[in-house]
Amino acid sequence: MNIKKQFKEGLITNNPVLVQLIGMCATMAITTTLFNGVGMGLSVLVILTCCNVVVSAIRKIIPDEIRLAIFVVVIAGFVTIVDLLLQAFIPALSAALGVFIPLIVVNCIIIGRAEAFCQKNTVGASFFDGIFQGLGYTCVLIVMCVVREFLGSGRFGGGLIDVTNGFRFTLDGTGGGIQIFPADYGASILNLPFGGFITLGCLIALMQFALKRSKKKKEEAEKAPQDEEKEVA
Amino acid sequence: MLTQIIAISLGAILTNNFIFSQFLGCCPFLGCSSKVDTATGMGLAVVFVMGLASAICWVIYTYVLVPLGLTFLNTLAFILVIAALVQFVEMFLKKSVPSLYSALGIYLPLITTNCAVLGVVLLNVQNHYNFLESVVYGVTGGLGFMLAIVLFASVRERIAFADYPESFEGFPICLVSAGLLALAFMGFSGMKIV
Amino acid sequence: MKKIPKLTFILFLICAITAGILGGINELTKDRIAEQNRLKTVKAYSAVLPADDYEEIPLTDALKAAYPSVDKVSRAANGSGYVVESTFSGAQGMITLAVGVNNSFKCTGISVISHSETSGLGANAASSSETGVNWRAQFLGADQNVALKKAGGTIDALAGATITSRTVTEATALSIRLVSELG
Repeated sequence: MNIKKQFKEGLITNNPVLVQLIGMCATMAITTTLFNGVGMGLSVLVILTCCNVVVSAIRKIIPDEIRLAIFVVVIAGFVTIVDLLLQAFIPALSAALGVFIPLIVVNCIIIGRAEAFCQKNTVGASFFDGIFQGLGYTCVLIVMCVVREFLGSGRFGGGLIDVTNGFRFTLDGTGGGIQIFPADYGASILNLPFGGFITLGCLIALMQFALKRSKKKKEEAEKAPQDEEKEVA
Repeated sequence: MLTQIIAISLGAILTNNFIFSQFLGCCPFLGCSSKVDTATGMGLAVVFVMGLASAICWVIYTYVLVPLGLTFLNTLAFILVIAALVQFVEMFLKKSVPSLYSALGIYLPLITTNCAVLGVVLLNVQNHYNFLESVVYGVTGGLGFMLAIVLFASVRERIAFADYPESFEGFPICLVSAGLLALAFMGFSGMKIV
Repeated sequence: MKKIPKLTFILFLICAITAGILGGINELTKDRIAEQNRLKTVKAYSAVLPADDYEEIPLTDALKAAYPSVDKVSRAANGSGYVVESTFSGAQGMITLAVGVNNSFKCTGISVISHSETSGLGANAASSSETGVNWRAQFLGADQNVALKKAGGTIDALAGATITSRTVTEATALSIRLVSELG
């Protein structure tokens, strides 16, 4: 397992949302402003990395029969810690994400990685797997937010960026974002649940298109030298 | 009292449908909806577990966690209760109601990780519902889930014959049609019991 | 079957360790969370009725039954009036609204604490944009008979958001009526 390969898998070829098709509830529900997306993505990244490390560290001492129950307890523990810390230090994010922070417990990404990866790999590999899978998830959230916010209300970086008194980042979710075109011309339907379904559907379709294309190219590249050989013969 | 109950039911089934407006339970919604039969089975199992989980978690929250000042443990406690509950229901049905077990059995293990179930118990706490309201919210939330998944399964059976771009094969076309269904459910918004 | 006690013990042990760690974290963050919640309330309330602090007053069972949507009523520490917080169903989901009422039972301002209304339409009721601020300003000085123009009152509905406007207006009227009954 080398890090480069893990990086590519987490972000592209085995992206949790776009390829493994898991953890979609939150992806569609909270991606209305960049603030929510980045906050949710980073929360999942932290929880996933911690859980991966702990699960792979204790993988040899836990009995096989109750491993799922133990995974769930470990995950719920970390989720509660992040939940409490958010409530204490970034209350705006906690209020915006609401019930979706505790619901990270049942996010298939985390239990899926614990079951499929950390059980069989070392602590180090699991740590990087957590970071890269988390990054892959965060990237998808960010793309969803940017697309929905831009087309829906003509903004970029809502909640996270404030430009009223010069450019600055707001961590309390109060920033109005950069208005690119007047909100009245936006397709506000993209801010509704409908927009979540459609945007994610198109993103996955785009991913399938790209993967299929790169696969075809590879096959052609493999085929090409053979054809040349034939011609020579 | 009665109007409150009706308002909660109507909200959970139509205006704030768990799937189409709150995005809770999307994984089984997309995973188990290729046939109307399986969708109905999954829907029934969810109604059952959501109702029971709401009742049990309300009791545990009100009589154990609140008096002991341990409300911060609620996520941990609820997920353990749901996991244990699902196991018990499975064992119970297997032994005493085999016919129901053969209909619902295979869906039960999947429900533990259904975020609609954990979601409904957390929302009960957040909304300060009393016992009756919690159970009603759980059962009708499940009914809303069932309505959504059965409707969606019938749509999917027809998509099989539709002509769409190759890249939309599989999940993307499902998400797009689910989006259109969500749009239809928006028509219910604003319904109100006075 | 011999394995069951051992498995139970391991599971119990892990639960106990997790609960212990969480207890510690909770102890560390508890005060800060309570302080954040208080600040949030004060911030939301001072927008509708300026004061340094607010004291929640208990409601009688009769009032609770008559006003089921009201969450809590607080008295401003400087005695200038009351803030009523209520939660009711809007167009898309539940709306939580704070209404400031002075001692002569007139509205001193309204503020939407949480909502899930349609962005760009009903969400204007809560937004800090010009549309939102102007719309909420209509409620200044309103009495318990406040109503939308459609219903014979004085309040203009938000464009494309009649339901949100109507429910917010009704909740405001209800809040003022509740304070007048408190006496």
